Amino acid sequence: MLHSYRRDDTIMPRTITAQNLQALIDALIAANIRVVGPKRVDSLCLYAPLAKGEELDLSELPRRSAKETFLPPAEEILSFERQGASTSVRSPDLSRLPATVLIGARPCDAAAPGILDAVFSWDYQDDFFLERRRKTTIVGIACTKADDACFCTAVGLSPDSRQGSDLFLTPLEGDSYAAEALTDKGAALLERHPELFVQGETGRPLPLAEPRAAKVDLAKIKTWLDGHFESPFWGEIASHCVGCGTCAFLCPTCHCFDIVDEGSEAAGCRRKFWDACGFSKFTLHASSHNPRNTQADRFRNRVMHKFKYYHDKFGRTLCTGCGRCIRACPVGIDLVAVLEDINTQG
Amino acid sequence: MNQTAQNLDSAPLVDETYYAAVTEAIRAEAARLLTDGRVAAVIGYVAGRRAGSALPAVITTPERAGELIFSPACRNNLSVYLTKPKQDAVPKGKLAIVVKGCDLRALAGLLGESQIRRENLHIIGIACAGVFAANVDQSLPLSEATIAKKCRECTVHLPKEVDFMAGTLPMLPQLAPVEAEELARLEALTPAERWAFWKEQFSRCIRCLACRQVCPFCFCTQCLCDRNRPQTVENSVRPAGNLSWHIVRAMHLAGRCAGCAECERACPMDIPLNLLNRKMAEELKERFDYEAGLSPQEKGPLTSYQEDDDESFIK
Amino acid sequence: MHTEKHHHAFEPKIVAFVCTWCTYAGADLAGTSRMQYPPNVRVVKFPCTGRIDPVFILRAFQKGADGVLVSGCHPGDCHYMAGNFHARRRFTAFRALLDFVGVDLNRIQFSWVSAAEGGKWVEVVTELTERVRAMGPMREFRELDMEEHWSAHVNTPELQAVYNAIP
Repeated sequence: MLHSYRRDDTIMPRTITAQNLQALIDALIAANIRVVGPKRVDSLCLYAPLAKGEELDLSELPRRSAKETFLPPAEEILSFERQGASTSVRSPDLSRLPATVLIGARPCDAAAPGILDAVFSWDYQDDFFLERRRKTTIVGIACTKADDACFCTAVGLSPDSRQGSDLFLTPLEGDSYAAEALTDKGAALLERHPELFVQGETGRPLPLAEPRAAKVDLAKIKTWLDGHFESPFWGEIASHCVGCGTCAFLCPTCHCFDIVDEGSEAAGCRRKFWDACGFSKFTLHASSHNPRNTQADRFRNRVMHKFKYYHDKFGRTLCTGCGRCIRACPVGIDLVAVLEDINTQG
Repeated sequence: MNQTAQNLDSAPLVDETYYAAVTEAIRAEAARLLTDGRVAAVIGYVAGRRAGSALPAVITTPERAGELIFSPACRNNLSVYLTKPKQDAVPKGKLAIVVKGCDLRALAGLLGESQIRRENLHIIGIACAGVFAANVDQSLPLSEATIAKKCRECTVHLPKEVDFMAGTLPMLPQLAPVEAEELARLEALTPAERWAFWKEQFSRCIRCLACRQVCPFCFCTQCLCDRNRPQTVENSVRPAGNLSWHIVRAMHLAGRCAGCAECERACPMDIPLNLLNRKMAEELKERFDYEAGLSPQEKGPLTSYQEDDDESFIK
Repeated sequence: MHTEKHHHAFEPKIVAFVCTWCTYAGADLAGTSRMQYPPNVRVVKFPCTGRIDPVFILRAFQKGADGVLVSGCHPGDCHYMAGNFHARRRFTAFRALLDFVGVDLNRIQFSWVSAAEGGKWVEVVTELTERVRAMGPMREFRELDMEEHWSAHVNTPELQAVYNAIP
């Protein structure tokens, strides 16, 4: 376990005003701590490093998940350079990864890294991921709005789920937040700036979001998946998938990556970067055999991985119901509709 | 870049009865074709779970013909399903396909490049008032605030030479050509300013390749950029490789792209990809008087030449 | 990230994509005639300009070229009849694309140099080399290549600040 959890009900509730939240960010930045939070970038909102507190934008769900804080879209895992007759190889010094506070992570984003810890510390301790996890404090925030793509409640989360957060903020009336430390890291953040986190009665919480997606029986779905690897269902729901990587790349829990050497014989590096099982060549063998030869096969794998394989292996569902795959899919594939379909069939 | 609502009018551009009429016409035609066994499938749109949404569907039975719809959410260019990489999505045999004017232009290009045979198609054209832009609330009506940029400058509301025309076109207002204005703004910048613009745009690119996968003209079963012997374009998700990817794709589409702008709509990072394709189309129109998709052409402007082509840039 | 300091005079790297039958032979003639010209050009030989994929120009810049020359047979003289006609159209389009993306077209030169035009080869190469020398190194692609996603940065913010302070 990476974190120790504690819940001390004798601790006085704390409140932080929106203004002081910005002040907190500024103070952290001044102390050379990297602060990552939802920020306006052109026409969209993305989790990105903040230069100052007022850049924090909590008005909408960022287009990409927060997973890139722990799993960059591309990163160097070693570099090489030919020097005369020999080659020098250097690995990045992961101890130099900056201390980070991820602030404003929605429950669907905050819960994801905890779910991924298992696969990144299973047969290999992936320090590229784990060191970033160790160095990051996650400040989650509850949602007061949802759209019809949100389905966190269908996968065991909720608009105010504390799962994965070190510190959790609940929006209150009067432009402030109730702040709750859930782990040692969260408590440490509170203790750094006690002047900003005021003790005393919290105000009234704003009404939480109500995701419309119906609750599905994940156990029932898993049982159906266990027995329906070969089924015309997959072709029916996903033949029209065009095989891009949008769903996988925006997803908080998808984590597949490719490793490629780039550069030249003289100098270059080995990079690790996002890959997607939806791509037609994802499982293409050197022999040219492709065990997932049709898009239906590839989509089946996506659903199976998320709702069966990951559960078989690690006891967790590889989905947090953020709905990004549904919003962004260029051909309207709707994971909620798929789950509801399976739920009825099963 | 997505248009923001700003001061744009949210009054509906067309009446609901128009959509009902188009939908009825499509359903009747599809039912007829499938009942008579004239086609193996009808590729069209059906409603999605989310309010106002639509998605592609391949209908193979007359009973399911009643699921077909037309609405402003029917944005997909379905001609992509006629191409080789998507052949598993459709049955063999004659196919009926629902197309808007922009989709038909891509289809014409595919016919010209011998990717499909006209006699294997039954083209159901749509008298189209326009479709939604990316990232709008599809439960709202089609309005100036929600319409796609490409629709503002559409010249093919009524696709020609189709086998069946669904619906009649309502009166449509003139809308400001937002995309043309964006292109002109970029063209007026210095190369350094343009470089900075595209560098910023491509730093958001995550190489999901949705642009490629929804494009009817990206039908190579072995994309150049997927090869690693030789490695033409770095596939790691970094600004350097991203820029190369988009340059190569724009070049491979030059003279072929019909401007359906699906690439831009599909892009989850709101990168204004259609500006690249539109710029190329503009250049080729100006220099070689060529416009893609007006009719099936065996040779495009970059697979043919004139002996007196301009060579003022060549020493 | 260090900006380039000119500890010694900048020598531009010019990559020339040429066709075997005309320009390469012309360059050869320049050599046998002992014509002097800047040694900055690296020649890559193709059977025909029609074989030159525009992406090679892009690759050349990515790999460190400061200027690129593409040269082949005069129209009508192509060894393969029409290769250079296709190349002409292709490069018309590609130049427009590169310009639109923000590449300075002064770094790219196209020419027709026949097997007999040793002198023209010298002229074209010298002109491009000197023009690019005056423009300085092609920084854009190199800087682009150094850009990493924010979460891939291993430096601490303090280290980053130190780097940024270096002029």
